[in-house]
This record gives sequence, C-alpha cells and structure tokens, in this order.
Amino acid sequence: MALSKRKRATYFRYAQYGLLLVIALVIAFTANWSEIVHTFFDLPTAGQMFPDLVTVSLKNTIVYTIFGFALGLLLGLLLALMKLSSVAPYRWIATGYIEFFRGVPALLVFLAFTVAVPLAFKIKFDIYSTVMLALGLVGAAYMAETIRAGIQAVPKGQVEAARSLGMSQGRAMITIVIPQAFRIILPPLTNELILLTKDSSLVYIIGLARDEYELTKFGREFLSRSPTLTPILVVGLSYLIITLPLGYLSRYLERRTGGKKVSVV
Amino acid sequence: MSEICVEITGLKKSFGTLDVLKGIELTVNRGDVVCIIGPSGSGKSTLLRCVNLLEEPNGGRVVVNGVELTDPDVDIDLARTKIGMVFQSFNLFAHLTVLNNLTVAQRKVLKRGEKEAQEVALRNLERVGLSEKANSMPAQLSGGQQQRVAIARALSMDPEVMLFDEPTSALDPELVGDVLGVMRQLADEGMTMLVVTHEMQFAREVADKVIFMDGGYIVEEGPAAEVIGNPQEERTRSFLARVLDPTHHGPSDSD
Repeated sequence: MALSKRKRATYFRYAQYGLLLVIALVIAFTANWSEIVHTFFDLPTAGQMFPDLVTVSLKNTIVYTIFGFALGLLLGLLLALMKLSSVAPYRWIATGYIEFFRGVPALLVFLAFTVAVPLAFKIKFDIYSTVMLALGLVGAAYMAETIRAGIQAVPKGQVEAARSLGMSQGRAMITIVIPQAFRIILPPLTNELILLTKDSSLVYIIGLARDEYELTKFGREFLSRSPTLTPILVVGLSYLIITLPLGYLSRYLERRTGGKKVSVV
Repeated sequence: MSEICVEITGLKKSFGTLDVLKGIELTVNRGDVVCIIGPSGSGKSTLLRCVNLLEEPNGGRVVVNGVELTDPDVDIDLARTKIGMVFQSFNLFAHLTVLNNLTVAQRKVLKRGEKEAQEVALRNLERVGLSEKANSMPAQLSGGQQQRVAIARALSMDPEVMLFDEPTSALDPELVGDVLGVMRQLADEGMTMLVVTHEMQFAREVADKVIFMDGGYIVEEGPAAEVIGNPQEERTRSFLARVLDPTHHGPSDSD
C-alpha cells in the first residue's frame, strides 16, 4: 500500500534531520580540533588584547558608526525629499547620487576621502571627519531609498487632512508625514545601522594612530604580533556584541509596528 | 436676503481626459445646510474638494467667505483655516493623541499658545461628547469616535463653513447615528455646512437645500422636501428609488 501524503511528509522530515546529523558528525570527526583550539582559542593572547579591545577599539567602532549614521540619516532624508520633489533637477541629482554611491565599493569612497578629496581641495580632514563623510555618504544612498519608501507609505489622507487645516506642504511634511514615516522605517533603519557598523571596518586602509584604532585595525595589528589567529575570533565576537542586540531590536520594532512591510525598490 | 458664504460659478474639473465637473453653479448662504446627493462617479466629492481647493479646478470661480480661492495670488493656507473638512476615512493623525490632533494645527498654523489651544480643543471634544478620550490614540477609538474627533479637530480652527465628504460611509451601521447626531447639533447651532451623503433621512430632516448631481452636472436642486419628496427629473427619481428601496430594483445598467 502506498504511503499517505502525511506519512510521506513525516518520513521526509526525519530524513532531513538524519542528513544534518551526518554532516555535523563528518565535520566533527574530520576537523583537527586540537589545532583549532590552539589557533583560535589561545587564551593568553586573547587576554593581552584587553583592556584596549574595549576601551579603544570597540569604543571607536561605535563612535565612527554613530557619526556616519547621523550624517547618513540627515543626508538620506534630504535626498529622499529631493527624490519626491516636483522639481525635476532635484530628482535627477538625488537619483544620480543614490545610483553612484550604491554602485561603487565603500572602500573606494574611503580612499577618495583620504587621498583624492584632500588633494583636490587642499584640505586635510581629521580622522573623525573622514570616517563620518565616507560612511555617511555611502549610508545616505541606502537610507534615502528606505526613507522615501517610508514617506510614501504614509497614507495620502494624512497630508490632505493637514492641508485642509491650513498647513503648508512643508509644514505638513515636517509635522505629520516624516514622524509617521520614521515609525514605519525604524526596523529597516536599524538594519542600516548594522551594515554601517561592519562598513566602519574599512577605516583600516587609512593610516591611524594607536588610539584611533577600531576593531578590525586593532585585530590586524594584534595579529601581526600574535603567534595564533585568536585576535580574529575575538574581534569577530566583538562585532557580534554590537550587531546581535541591534538585530534583536530590529525584529522587536518590526513586531511592534505590526510587521508593516515597506518595499524598497 | 442672507449673506453668501460659498459661491461657485462655471466650475469645471477634469482628470486627464475624464470630465468630472462640467460647469457647476452653486450658492450657499451663511447658516445653510446643503446636502449633495447622487450616484457614485457623479462628481459630488470632487465638487466638495474644489471648495477648499484640495482639487485644483480647470475652470470657473470658487469664492468662499468673500475670498476668491481660484485667484492664483490667494493665500490658500490662510483661506483653508476658515474651511473645515471632514473625510470619509477620518484621517486622524495616527502618531498623535486625540488632544494633539486637535491642537497641532491651532498651534502651528494659527500660532495659538499651548494653553489656549488645549482649552479650545477640550471645548470641542465636549461638543462631540468625547472629553474622556483626550489622551487616547486614534487607533484605540471606534470609527464613529474617530469621525467625531475629526469633526472636533476641524471645529477647533473656528471655521466659517464645514465640508463633509461622505462622513458616515466608512462606519458600521450602529455607529452612524452618533456622527449624524453631532452634525445635526452643529446645523442647529447655525454652522454653514456642505454635506456629501447617502443618508437620505439626514438630508430630508436637516438640509435647507438638497442638490442632486449626475454626470458632472447639478440635475436638480431645491428644498429637501421637494427634491427628495417630489423629484421632477427622471434621473433623480430613479436614483432615489434605488437608494430608498434597494431590494425592489434589479441591477442598474447606468451605474
């Protein structure tokens, strides 16, 4: 007798569990555990990384990210408004900007602000300005699209109600639309923050003083003096300390706002 | 002869190639309640939205409270503070409490102080019977309560005329009465009102004038008792027959 559909589904699921178990066992038995433990869990080396890991590099990663995010948010809002503007040149500029900075690697933007821009305009940025500009300009391109989608997700009736009460277009935008748009896009914006946190690692290509090191640069520096690869693991875990709570926050906000999906095209 | 509040002459509006209003003449005296009825697509909502220029007319003149809104040099934001509007879908500001819904435009547009704005707001909430909801969020209210808050919000600007765009069409039947009650009370207090509605009972009892629109024209207008009770035009008769006694009519091919 042929199996019923339900029985077949059950057996198929058992087969999948079995396959996962086999893969895990193969990895467990073929890996060289003593070498891995020696290379990545070298506790004395890990110990030497403290306290600078936290007081300098983790702190700097957070500071660079917040600077970049703040600029990105402001510029992103401006670009979103330009993209929705009835003035065609504003739309062209915003579209050109977004396409450009989404399309080039962030690493090149960092290089531009360390070398090309200071050369061209005969100015010297300090490290915070460089990071803020590079991260902010790249972040703005992504955030602009998110913010635009958020603004468009606010029902048209909200603007009509505001205008019917005598508010100007700009006043309605600032008082009524933008606050609601940000409520809607809080979850995707939190994801932008996570991406920027990781992009802040690109600072490593800039010549940094010791107290300007962020996590990646700090890890590489330590790696060159360390007999093992432990610094890599420690730095990786440090990023997770920042990004995992943010990811949790993003999912929490998404649940709270009723999981309203904003389509970013 | 009473004072004229709204005067519309030769009003035309089209969306693309679709002509929605084909030349509307309408005068509303101060203190009058005018109900606009008609089948869907007849242009009645568009007409109402032209009275505060939420829709830009393609031709004709709209004069409200002595100000010509169709004049390109008019300060439309200022003019709109004197024209209250209530929407079918309420459109309460979702991120603000009921109280702040009523104060935000008073403060940002009329530049009233916080204390004065709150006093005005609370007075108007009381008029619509929702004083106890001042600190609720719109989403916590029923549809009927939201619409009454929307009326109070419009009243807080001290308008000289109120526009109602199908104010009860999105409500559950048992909540319609509360909103109509507030509107009736407003009419009794002498507010000038333009009401697009399907509530024939309300039109019959409250309206000073009823306007029947079809196909972008005003087909028939006059006192409620005449237009609803004894319509002269065939189109008015067939519309009213379908609205007042829907179960005794087959599907219409005109709608």
